[in-house]
Amino acid sequence: MSAIVGAATCRRSFLVGAAGLLVAGTFPRASAESSKPPGQFALTAAKGRASLVGKAHPATGVWCYGGTIPGPIIRARQGEPIRIVVDNNLSEETTVHWHGIRLPIGMDGVPGISQPPIAPGQRFTYEFTPPDAGTFWYHPHADSLQQLGRGMAGALIVDEPGPIAVDRDVLWMLTDWRLTADAQIASGFGNSMDAAMSGRVGNTVTVNGAVSKEERVRAGERVRLRLVNSSLARIMALRFEQHRPLIIAIDGQPCDPHEPDGGRLLLGPAMRIDLLLDMQGKPGRRYRVIDDFYDGLAYWVTKLAYEDKPPLRAHSLDPPPALPRNPVPEPDVTTAQRQELRLQGGMMGGGGMAGMGGMSDMSHAAWAINGTSMTGDGHAGMAPLLTLQLGRSYLFTLRNDTAWWHPMHLHGHSFRVLSRNGRPVPRQQWADTVLVPPRETVDIAFVADNPGDWMLHCHVTDHQVSGMMAILRIV
Amino acid sequence: MKRRTFCIGCLLAAISPALSAVAAEPIRATLYKNPQCTCCEGYATYLRSNGFEVDVRPTNDLNQISQKAGVPEKYQGCHTMFVGGYVVDGHVPVETVRKLLSERPKIAGITLPGMPIGSPGMYGKKTQPFVIYAVTKDGKAPTVYAEV
Repeated sequence: MSAIVGAATCRRSFLVGAAGLLVAGTFPRASAESSKPPGQFALTAAKGRASLVGKAHPATGVWCYGGTIPGPIIRARQGEPIRIVVDNNLSEETTVHWHGIRLPIGMDGVPGISQPPIAPGQRFTYEFTPPDAGTFWYHPHADSLQQLGRGMAGALIVDEPGPIAVDRDVLWMLTDWRLTADAQIASGFGNSMDAAMSGRVGNTVTVNGAVSKEERVRAGERVRLRLVNSSLARIMALRFEQHRPLIIAIDGQPCDPHEPDGGRLLLGPAMRIDLLLDMQGKPGRRYRVIDDFYDGLAYWVTKLAYEDKPPLRAHSLDPPPALPRNPVPEPDVTTAQRQELRLQGGMMGGGGMAGMGGMSDMSHAAWAINGTSMTGDGHAGMAPLLTLQLGRSYLFTLRNDTAWWHPMHLHGHSFRVLSRNGRPVPRQQWADTVLVPPRETVDIAFVADNPGDWMLHCHVTDHQVSGMMAILRIV
Repeated sequence: MKRRTFCIGCLLAAISPALSAVAAEPIRATLYKNPQCTCCEGYATYLRSNGFEVDVRPTNDLNQISQKAGVPEKYQGCHTMFVGGYVVDGHVPVETVRKLLSERPKIAGITLPGMPIGSPGMYGKKTQPFVIYAVTKDGKAPTVYAEV
């Protein structure tokens, strides 16, 4: 085989190869897909076992979809309907939330709000048409701490109408786990210290369901790397040693390709970043992917392990064009109705300021939005915090009055991130989950174009279930 | 960084006891804390000003560490320290730690639950006595060890 070929030829041939690679079983796919027409999927929620930390340790007892960690990839096409039949073989109720997809409220998977929960032994069929291409994911919205924390999560990838010029399309589902010494999931879900502080951050991080020593790459190749943080609470700040990743989409929504500030990718729970990564390292070498978000607790997630083969192409590729934009309605900021949402509570809430302050009894720890605490995962009869007018633009100021980080997620919509602490942010990208650092503010704007009762909550699951959750009614 | 601003309150609270510190043989301690909790640093500073040598270690496994050490969930403070073979959980004043180390009772250690305002390393003014509990590893309910 000729080692060096022209970039254009090479791209095309690898596009075909890339599609083949994914099918070949690098990642699990939804179980019944091969036997069903396109767009039809089946997911079974059940207990299972997974080898998360390697053969030297026992397999971990998990809860999962389709018997795998992560759950099967659901691969849809933009604008084409899909149908997912979900069977609940757990011994408790569940639902599935299709995180980031702009879909009808009845398919949003919030128990008691958008659907009755799926009882043990029962089935629910989700049907919707993804309007946006990009990287999304699915997870339960019932008993979230345990169901997500024990492993129930999978990627939902919506393909663009045409191919994207990359050699490979790779997914990394990044999840952390709190494991005991015998590699089992530690008990203590919802303990008050986690609830009032940074949530249940784990001690083991996996890539696509297993601790990763290395991920194989080829010098010269261009990879679309889809990062999904499906952790309960862990925030990541990723650096690719001696590489210059370009961000091409955030939370499934394309943006102008750009390098992250300081080469550091901030990825909170539930957030996704699509990267374009040109493999400019040397054949045979290894480069660490480092997460140094928590002070004093930096570690490496995996290593890019270059095959000992000559580079795929002689010259580096041209800068990539932006991905095609999705049809998200543009908010009119000049006429938008403004609303402040104060995030409150937690340990060390305030030095006498708003929030719960220092606490003598952590069991009363709670969070709130504008003084109202909604707890749990969603249930019938939840009163809306705000009622929004269908079709109108809204500008929300998320003001974090707490000492902790909050990835705030709005269901059923994508919003523009306008500014941080009053300063406009570059590119004002779309997102469905935005990280709000302690004592900072973030302005977001969106068109309330989707009727229904939509959740707005922190995606640190401990924070969500202990009060940092609200309903926005759009009528 | 925004995080820094929280330190200030903690440090201020820690300064006044430092003035009355008595020079003595340093007592070695290891303190485990949430990487994002800043009042724990204030507590470490307070200990150092009182003759302790403190090794601060950030961890996301605090709940497991304190439970394993014998501190039941409802009695946990926001950080966990190991000193002289005992666990000391939360913002326990140094006089109580010294009392523990000199009396050497047959317990796993002591805890001041939560983060009471005005306790060493915390901001604010003390409004009520701190109740410090003795914990054991045999599953018995904690008992009051000291009120200060």
